[in-house]
Amino acid sequence: MTPTPTPSPGRTTDARPTGTRFTRVLGAAVLLGLAWLVLFGLFLSPNDEKQKAGVRILYIHVPTAWLAYLAFIVTGIASAAYLFKRTRSLTWDRIAGASAEIGVLFMGITLVTGSLWGRISWGIFWTWDSRLTTTAFLFVTYIGYLAVRNLGGTHQQRARRSAIIALLAVLEVPLVHFSVKWWRPLHQQESVAEGKLSGLMLFSLFVGLIAFTLLYVWLLLHRQRVLAMEDALDDQGLDVALAERRAEGAQV
Amino acid sequence: MDLSPREVVPTAQGRKRKRPWLAMSVLGLVLVGGGVMVVMFLNNAVDYYCNVDEVGVKDGCDVGRNIRIQGVVQEGSVEQTAAEYSFVIAYNGKEMPISVGSQPSGIFQECIPVVVRGQAVDEGDGVVFLGDEVIVKHDNEYDAENADRLEQSNAEAAACSQKG
Amino acid sequence: MFAVMSTSDQAPYVIASYVITLGGIGLYVWRLLARARKIAPQVREEDRPWT
Repeated sequence: MTPTPTPSPGRTTDARPTGTRFTRVLGAAVLLGLAWLVLFGLFLSPNDEKQKAGVRILYIHVPTAWLAYLAFIVTGIASAAYLFKRTRSLTWDRIAGASAEIGVLFMGITLVTGSLWGRISWGIFWTWDSRLTTTAFLFVTYIGYLAVRNLGGTHQQRARRSAIIALLAVLEVPLVHFSVKWWRPLHQQESVAEGKLSGLMLFSLFVGLIAFTLLYVWLLLHRQRVLAMEDALDDQGLDVALAERRAEGAQV
Repeated sequence: MDLSPREVVPTAQGRKRKRPWLAMSVLGLVLVGGGVMVVMFLNNAVDYYCNVDEVGVKDGCDVGRNIRIQGVVQEGSVEQTAAEYSFVIAYNGKEMPISVGSQPSGIFQECIPVVVRGQAVDEGDGVVFLGDEVIVKHDNEYDAENADRLEQSNAEAAACSQKG
Repeated sequence: MFAVMSTSDQAPYVIASYVITLGGIGLYVWRLLARARKIAPQVREEDRPWT
């Protein structure tokens, strides 16, 4: 049972059902940003004195790590907004879920690029120091969060369950961030805030940060809308099944 | 985006999840993985390494025990023979000779901080650290590579021996 | 850059990290939009308030 589409002005095309004019402009900016990132990160920025070409991994490793933190914090805020009675809406729950999924994607990229970088600068892919361990722990925590979202039940049950987990999980973010200050790790300290990147290197990192931030917003909008459609389909599901049964009955 | 509160009607009631077992098994793996990580982390010391000047002084940095030590590779101290690869690292004015089997990988070089895993052994005439693994610990300072900066790298090399 | 990097064995790692990053994001975006295209025709217009 497909509802007949009613053409209306400003309606999105079927080719891009979750797109709007805003996301299209944003999407173009994302592509431009990523192209700049490749241009500056791989070609225009200089090699580091000691790290040589290895430093180029920094321009994706650091922005994706920051954006993953941000994504998990957004998940926490949206979850709190869902639990708070006056703002309770499944839209908040879907923003939380969408943001967590993007955070997991970015954190995964951080871990992979980090271990490649580790191999060429430290000489090893992985070790159990405080920064690496807490980051990996954060990563699997949010995979667990996404699994909990898919355990079933009503949308309200899903939202409440996952919101409580998100509020606990977000406490890990400061733990990861300050792990390099509280303990003595192999991983280096933050270098950006202390101004230890020079000229074009700092600019390349800045380009990466802008590109991944725009990408995050673009992904969040689209993922949240797909989730909304999936939820609507769940709700519709029962009606559709009944209608199909009735139609079958009429044909006999 | 409509964020206004709506009338709360439980939705998707009684719907069948297609693959709850998938979510369940992912959750199981997550719990196991998280546990493994905690164990691995606790098996390693909370502080990843001891500094050279803490060996035999600080709790947990004893001679004869499996530890990691950190220090700066001293200029001119790297020697390679058929049997071993040796160098001296220093931190806070204390030096420690290191002996490892083969040349370290990564960006190993003089004047760079490294973390060596192994054992400090008292050989009568002094303590030697027998390393199993050398990890380069890069700091957080970056500078563009430039062939013309000989003067500055000389200055840095001098700073390297001072650091130790 | 390649001229500079070809002298070192770091180039494959650096390039791999960019390829994995952009490839991973591309794959995720492709799957997301494919999912959207697949289910959109079944969803009522009023359930897509952004349109």
